[in-house]
Amino acid sequence: MSASLAAPGTATSTAMPRRGGTLAPRLALGAGVAALLLFVGYPLLWLVLGAFGLPRGFGLDGFARSFTRAANVAPLVNTVVLAVSVGLASVVVAVPLAFAVARTDVALRRVVHGLVGLAYVLPPYLTSVAYIILLGPNAGHINRALAWLGLDFGLNIFTGSGVVFVITLHVFAIPYFLTCEALQSVDGSMEESARMLGAGRWGVVRRVTLPLVAPAITGGALLAAVNSLALFGPQAILGLPAQIVYLPTRIFGAVSSYPPRYPEASAMSLALVALTVAGLAAQRLYLGRRSYVTVGGKGVRPARWRLGPWRWPVGGLLMVPVLLAAVAPVTVLTLAAFSKVWTKAPTLDNLTLAHFQAALLDNQIAVRGLVNSLELAVAAATLAVLIGLAVAYLDLRTRLRGRVMLDYLAILPLGLPGTVIQAYVAMPVMQAFIHPPVVLYGTIWILLVAYVARAIPMGARSANAALRQVDASLEEAARITGASWTAALRRVLLPILRPSLLLGWLLVFIPSLSELSTTILLYSSGTETISVAIYRLNDMGQLEVVAALSVVLIGIILVALLLMQALAGRSRTAVVASAAGG
Amino acid sequence: MERKQPKAAITRRRLGGMAVALGAAAAWRPARAQTGADVAKAKAEGAVMLYTSLDTKIVDAIIKPFTAQYGIKVEYYRGGSADVTAKVLAEADAGQIRADIVDASDIGAFLAMKQRGLLRAYDSPAAKAVAANLRDPDGMWVADRLTQAVLQWNTQKVGKAPAHWEDLADPRFMGKLAYFSSSNGDGAPRLYTLASAFGWKLLERYAANKPLRLNSPQVMTQIIESGERTAGFLINDNIAWRSKLQGKATDYCFPAEGVPTELGAVGLPKAAPHPQAGALFYDWWMGEAGQKLLADGGKYSSRSDIAPPKDSPALSQLKLIVPDNQKLFTQRADILDRLTTIFGGEWGG
Repeated sequence: MSASLAAPGTATSTAMPRRGGTLAPRLALGAGVAALLLFVGYPLLWLVLGAFGLPRGFGLDGFARSFTRAANVAPLVNTVVLAVSVGLASVVVAVPLAFAVARTDVALRRVVHGLVGLAYVLPPYLTSVAYIILLGPNAGHINRALAWLGLDFGLNIFTGSGVVFVITLHVFAIPYFLTCEALQSVDGSMEESARMLGAGRWGVVRRVTLPLVAPAITGGALLAAVNSLALFGPQAILGLPAQIVYLPTRIFGAVSSYPPRYPEASAMSLALVALTVAGLAAQRLYLGRRSYVTVGGKGVRPARWRLGPWRWPVGGLLMVPVLLAAVAPVTVLTLAAFSKVWTKAPTLDNLTLAHFQAALLDNQIAVRGLVNSLELAVAAATLAVLIGLAVAYLDLRTRLRGRVMLDYLAILPLGLPGTVIQAYVAMPVMQAFIHPPVVLYGTIWILLVAYVARAIPMGARSANAALRQVDASLEEAARITGASWTAALRRVLLPILRPSLLLGWLLVFIPSLSELSTTILLYSSGTETISVAIYRLNDMGQLEVVAALSVVLIGIILVALLLMQALAGRSRTAVVASAAGG
Repeated sequence: MERKQPKAAITRRRLGGMAVALGAAAAWRPARAQTGADVAKAKAEGAVMLYTSLDTKIVDAIIKPFTAQYGIKVEYYRGGSADVTAKVLAEADAGQIRADIVDASDIGAFLAMKQRGLLRAYDSPAAKAVAANLRDPDGMWVADRLTQAVLQWNTQKVGKAPAHWEDLADPRFMGKLAYFSSSNGDGAPRLYTLASAFGWKLLERYAANKPLRLNSPQVMTQIIESGERTAGFLINDNIAWRSKLQGKATDYCFPAEGVPTELGAVGLPKAAPHPQAGALFYDWWMGEAGQKLLADGGKYSSRSDIAPPKDSPALSQLKLIVPDNQKLFTQRADILDRLTTIFGGEWGG
């Protein structure tokens, strides 16, 4: 096993580049390490320096101004309230869903499972736009239908609860997948023992199963909460018209107003990072106190509950959240994209392809956005996987000093600080690359750096998981029979790893393709992305063109998702869950 | 040199040399602004990057004939005035100016760019038709358009149409008003202008009516057209004009007691990547043809020889309220803070 390889006293670790051997492996690994430091270490350093006003000056003005101004207190409070609400709401939605899918023979459970995955990859700003179409105060489809029925609940998506609602529809997938995974790996014999000792079905659930999977639920809820912190799309598209300001929208205001106030924006980013760290620390503390060896063991697989006549009614109930989270947004956006006017019914009179012409040919920002997003996503996914592979290789196959530090920088078990930089990468990257020695602001490279920084935890995690499954003896055999290090890598290791790496690549590609939270602060003329085009066109009220662009984006995402499914096969849950965790 | 080669034809190379020499001579006299663009060089540069806050429908109309005539591609970065300005300032911080020409509906923004030394003087022949008080004395910017901020309402929902700013402060508009500003304070200059003429109290009374804030005038007019909100204050005259022209159930007025006017302007960045093409486009944009297209789109041109938009009153018939742009620039932070206090939400201050 790879673990024994790294242990002291192992005879020779032949897979490791030999001392005085070829320079190539060391150079290749060195490049990966340098990239990691550039993409993660340097921006984090500048986030802190920038909050002190550097490089223009030095002082505590940014800090003082940030945390004494009334205008910044409300966003802080709103952000905390948002995260807590999303965390709780996610559990309420995710746990019953996960239990039913993982432990019963409910109808439609595969469909539900797949649609939760779709809900997770659907960019939340698109869901926001879809819910403006569905739940806009007067013009929204649902509100007009209710009015037609003579009902008025005053449903309005432009509210704080609207933001919580839309974000929850996106992030509940995280506790869902983690809980599913935990439920499937609970040792069934424990539940059986409880049954034999006379406990009822619900008694077993309450007193055995739930306590066993509680760490997964809590961990999932905290990750969902942490994720909600940085989702600029819903916070801006739904929150700003409601006059509700969150930290990311406040940071955007501070940087996109003139003169731009970098120190204040950096200080607020630090607050956001602090919230993220607090959330993750709480999760680790909680998990640290409860380690149940029974979860993850290979015991008896628990039997599924037979629901009998309730199979279909319960299945129908399970469809409600996934219909709201995945099916409804995709449907209304598709309808709007083909409608002359989105508020009118989708009749033949109202049918048009003009919005696709605008999105794909006429509107120069939309056209550039599509091209830029595709290029960025391909480049970011490739780089993140390569860097991840270099780090994983160093960690698992060599005994180079300092390798553990690198692994920590890239993938601490819970993705810290990976998740931190993922949570709000824009300000660190902007602060780091807007002044010498490395100036990237105004070019597409700054976006690439930000995307790679965001994606490194996922790339590293995928590569690490993939490499762990391959025993070093295979490469050793190649080396012993005379293959060089590069040949062993190219002809033995990489072919074995290819499917896993491609899967990791797609896991980075999909979110990079639709990234908004970071891009909105860093893009410039000529470097607009598809997300920026959607955000800006929505600002201008061109909802139909927005819908057309959304359909194109969703189409690409669906293709990538199908590819992923083909690659991952039955281990899909685990992969998506681990991705969600990063 | 030339006397030694009396028979030398004017070769391409010599022409180039002369141009360089002339250019150097022009650059040598710092007091004198550059006049006109070098069309050949502009064509060689081949592209213009325009930063603009103007409605893209008008921008597209102005670009099309320019590209047809010169074969120079025009790309644009479009955002609100604050977006445009903040982007130019951030690019200047990075030493990576990408804009060849900047247009924004906020003179304060041009004062900010000028103070940072980002603009270059350009004495466009096209700018001669603009009144002297609409131009920067140092030639760093020239006004290209005047946007009047008007009252707009839905004709089916309003009952008695409002005619004065005061009318919208009436409690009958409780929960029925709309206005706009994106999160970085695009709507702030005209709100400030209104407040400086009629008092901040007026804005507080508007706020008491719980107006709905939209991100842009384009969305604001949609909300009034659909009847989601009944009336709105300080919408762009061209947006209200177009809505009415398209037969939507809206109307608008220029209140007799005074209409806030927002000057839009255009200028050339010093570090522009395509300086000649930028200047050439500047001349097109400010020229009679370009400004005519602007007026066709519903905008009032800054040129004295361009008629107002179709069916619109002459500016001389309106009582215009022109803000103190210097104050708008120096007191921007205070103004944004004050608007945050009155209306809540994000103003970028």
